[in-house]
Amino acid sequence: MKYLRRIFLRFFGLFTNSKTEAELDREITAHLQLLEDDFLDRGMTPKEARRAARRTYGGVEQMKQLHRNERAYQGLASTVMDVQYTLRQLRKSPGFTLTAILMLAFGIGATTAVFSIVEGVLLRPLPFADPNRLVVLGDELVGSHWTRSNATAPDVRNYMRDTHSFLHLGGYQRIGLELSSTSDPVHVYATRMSGEVFPTLDVAPLMGRWFTQQEDDQHQLVAVLSYGMWRERFHGDEKILGTKILLDRKPYLVIGVMPRDFEFPLVPGHLNNSELWVPLSPRPEEFTAGYAASWNLRMVGRLKPGITPAQAQRDAQVVAEETMRNYPGFMQSLRIRSDVKFLHEDTVAQARPLMHTLLIAVATVLMIACANLAGLLLVRSIRRRREIAVRLALGARAAMLLRQAMVESLVLSITGGLVGLAFAAACIRIGISLLPENLPRIREISLDWPVISFALGLAALTGLVCGLAPAFAAIRTSVNDTLKEGGRTGTPGSGHGRLRSTLVVAEIAVALVLLTASGLLLRSFEKMRQVDLGFRVDHTLSAVYVLPHERYTTQSVIDNLTDTLLRNLRELPGVESAGITSMLPATGGSGVIAGLAITVEGYVPQKSAGLNMAAVSLVQGDPFQALGIRLLRGRFFTESDKADSQLVTIVNRKLAEHFWPGQDPIGKRLRRGMAETPTPWLTVVGIVDDVKLGSPDGVATEQFYQPVTQQVVSEGAFASAGELAGTYGYIVLHTDIPPEQLENSLRATVQSVDPQLPLIDMRTMEHVISDSEAPRLFNTVLISTFAMIALLLAISGIYSVIAFSVALREQEMAIRMALGCQRRDVLHLVLTSAAKLGALGCLLGLLAAAGVSHLLRSFLFDVSPFDPLVLTVSALVMLLFALAASALPATRAAKINPMIALRGD
Amino acid sequence: MPSKENESIQLLQGTLDLIVLRTLASMGSQHAYQIANRLEQVSDNLLNLNQGTLYPALVRLEQYGWIKGTWAKTENNREAKYYAITRAGQKALGEETQRWRRMAGLVEKLLVEEF
Repeated sequence: MKYLRRIFLRFFGLFTNSKTEAELDREITAHLQLLEDDFLDRGMTPKEARRAARRTYGGVEQMKQLHRNERAYQGLASTVMDVQYTLRQLRKSPGFTLTAILMLAFGIGATTAVFSIVEGVLLRPLPFADPNRLVVLGDELVGSHWTRSNATAPDVRNYMRDTHSFLHLGGYQRIGLELSSTSDPVHVYATRMSGEVFPTLDVAPLMGRWFTQQEDDQHQLVAVLSYGMWRERFHGDEKILGTKILLDRKPYLVIGVMPRDFEFPLVPGHLNNSELWVPLSPRPEEFTAGYAASWNLRMVGRLKPGITPAQAQRDAQVVAEETMRNYPGFMQSLRIRSDVKFLHEDTVAQARPLMHTLLIAVATVLMIACANLAGLLLVRSIRRRREIAVRLALGARAAMLLRQAMVESLVLSITGGLVGLAFAAACIRIGISLLPENLPRIREISLDWPVISFALGLAALTGLVCGLAPAFAAIRTSVNDTLKEGGRTGTPGSGHGRLRSTLVVAEIAVALVLLTASGLLLRSFEKMRQVDLGFRVDHTLSAVYVLPHERYTTQSVIDNLTDTLLRNLRELPGVESAGITSMLPATGGSGVIAGLAITVEGYVPQKSAGLNMAAVSLVQGDPFQALGIRLLRGRFFTESDKADSQLVTIVNRKLAEHFWPGQDPIGKRLRRGMAETPTPWLTVVGIVDDVKLGSPDGVATEQFYQPVTQQVVSEGAFASAGELAGTYGYIVLHTDIPPEQLENSLRATVQSVDPQLPLIDMRTMEHVISDSEAPRLFNTVLISTFAMIALLLAISGIYSVIAFSVALREQEMAIRMALGCQRRDVLHLVLTSAAKLGALGCLLGLLAAAGVSHLLRSFLFDVSPFDPLVLTVSALVMLLFALAASALPATRAAKINPMIALRGD
Repeated sequence: MPSKENESIQLLQGTLDLIVLRTLASMGSQHAYQIANRLEQVSDNLLNLNQGTLYPALVRLEQYGWIKGTWAKTENNREAKYYAITRAGQKALGEETQRWRRMAGLVEKLLVEEF
């Protein structure tokens, strides 16, 4: 205890030095006085007494040193002195200090914020136990363009039963359920999954228990709630376990509540996480022929110890071969390949390119900030050349000067780092609200300890690196030469000049890279906005409904509801036309829209071409009119296109051009499935324009439309017994008043036909479009922000360097002017040197931009990474800013009064 | 491992600390000059120390919290810093005295056995 107290006191003694010294002096003086008094009493003369007192006391200075050693850690004292010295120096030049700190804070803050996000999304382990053994398993359909592997219900059964590589393996599917036991019926996002999924993920429930595989197999109606669901919809009711809730109007027993951070599946593309989990319990019809080709499920598994994903994949492939052998005749030509991937990879794969781009942008900004700081420190050390020379001449050691320079830059960078951290904390808050929803685990992003240590490490490193160059420059100062310059600041050594010019050129170059990137992205965005979407955006309202199985058991009940609904909607004041479609344009995300295989009469595909895939939309009412989709030839569907009449279809332009190039498609025929699938032909009665099903920068997909009434018939062998059509759909309305004003009447109309039916995702098409544009908008805004930051930093760098060179060359300018040089020429001289640096930087920047173009290519839309317009404009802007930055120092140089300048110093 | 020289200094320091504590315990609060005088008196001037040597010991004892210094006037109206032993100092004095006795006894025993 006493030692702790002493260590503490000795440490703090370092900072209270002057006070303690004064106290010590006072005590010694008093002591000497007392001694002197005594000696005087003994009859000495005052002079003798004073001398005797000193002798008795001993060496005052030696004693003081002993005292200092005793009371404080003197080893630290010199460092403290250096820091105090630095702080004094920095206080003397607040402009420099503030610029340096803010510049660094900016660089470090931005870096930290982005690092936090990268860390949160890419580096953070999955929120499950031992995540390195978690994999996803699925089929790749040979010849399709699927980006993620899925599984069918028979697949799930077969893989679970017959593979040997997995400790646990289960299937799952995201579904929507109608929850009607609490107040108003609402639509909730849920996941049905095998009982095995819980032990796979190995996360203990907060309350209660999971459902088991046995319960799953026995089709028990049990549900596990998410923490959010439990808190918000059930007010954190402790007694929720054992109560029943109505899901799709069936009673489910609540058996567990998961902890707050449990989230599964981790779905990129949706913020709407599952709010509850129910057993997968596949319905009997899911194992019939009709579902054999429905890859609607996904699988997650935990590998057995020592098994690699490749081994598991080989194991699964054996099962897949068996599955294919059992395919019904009409699926004989389908080939599947098992695919096993780490869950982590699967989760983050989609966010990876954006993250890499971000990191590069941030590194660039940080580099510029560091270059600026190095430049500032360098300029400062040149300014202090004389001071340093004098100190060297007086015997200061080089090591000490080096140490001081290092301490100065460290103090600056650490302060900058701390300010930057505060800045980063604010940035993360803003960033999270701006990030696109498809960043997985976005809610877990926060400024945390690894991030903070990264930031401070970065700050220290920046300090060391930036301190090194100026510190060595300071030491290399030749005492003789500097002092011989006699009062004249003169021109500094050419080495410094070169170093500074290099820094400026590098800054301009990297800033230009970001500037071109931002230019290219802006142009891509502009191009995207000009894309013809193929449908009307204004005066259109949409919403989804899903009919629960329990109530809508027969086709006639469903048809009755939709007919009534459409009739009532058409009668609403303000509604021009109303329709229902199974697929809404612009909601498909940026991926390739999955479709189904079709066979076209008379079309013989090339061997390697794979399957003919097309996306199908099932429609009722007038969705073409409501969405403003243009009819190119033929006719729309009518009331007379019924289940028992001729099967008809409308195709889009892309499909028509693909399969019947240069021919009239009206009257041609196509059908669902492969050549060997027994399905009836559909006759083409109309062609409509292409619409963008995904985001506007996506490609158009081959599409065909069918009346919902003919769906089941057209599926032929695919149709399962008792299959119902039209159980869900997007209601679309074309309005002649602002669509927002119709939201309430739409809701009321739906309630009038089924008071319990909730409407999901009611949005105007303008909203739908801006949501689909959001990811690109985000990229563009983000990179442009970084480009602006980089530009500002680079300009301030250029300004400070030019301003400084001008200040150093003041005398030279004065002499030139005294010898008859015109002000115009001086201006010209300064601007030329700036232009030279700028031009060189731009040249290098353009080369660098070409070098990193491959990184950017995937983000561009309809723009080449070498777009001449963007490259030229960016380079010109950069050059112009460089010149503008040097204009101020140049005019100042031109205003030099030669007489004053020459007399000065 | 402290070196031999360090050990001897350590011992000397410890001794000095003990003497100062003892002095303050028996004589009440004293200023540095009085302590020095007392030291000379007790040692019959054999302990040829400069009076300034006391100061490091005083600052150390004060940092341990064993003594406390306050400014006051002497009888002759001179100012001086008076040191007084604290409660913790009293306790430490007891412990240090015990230790010193054991140490001294041990050395004594060894020295006796030697001859």
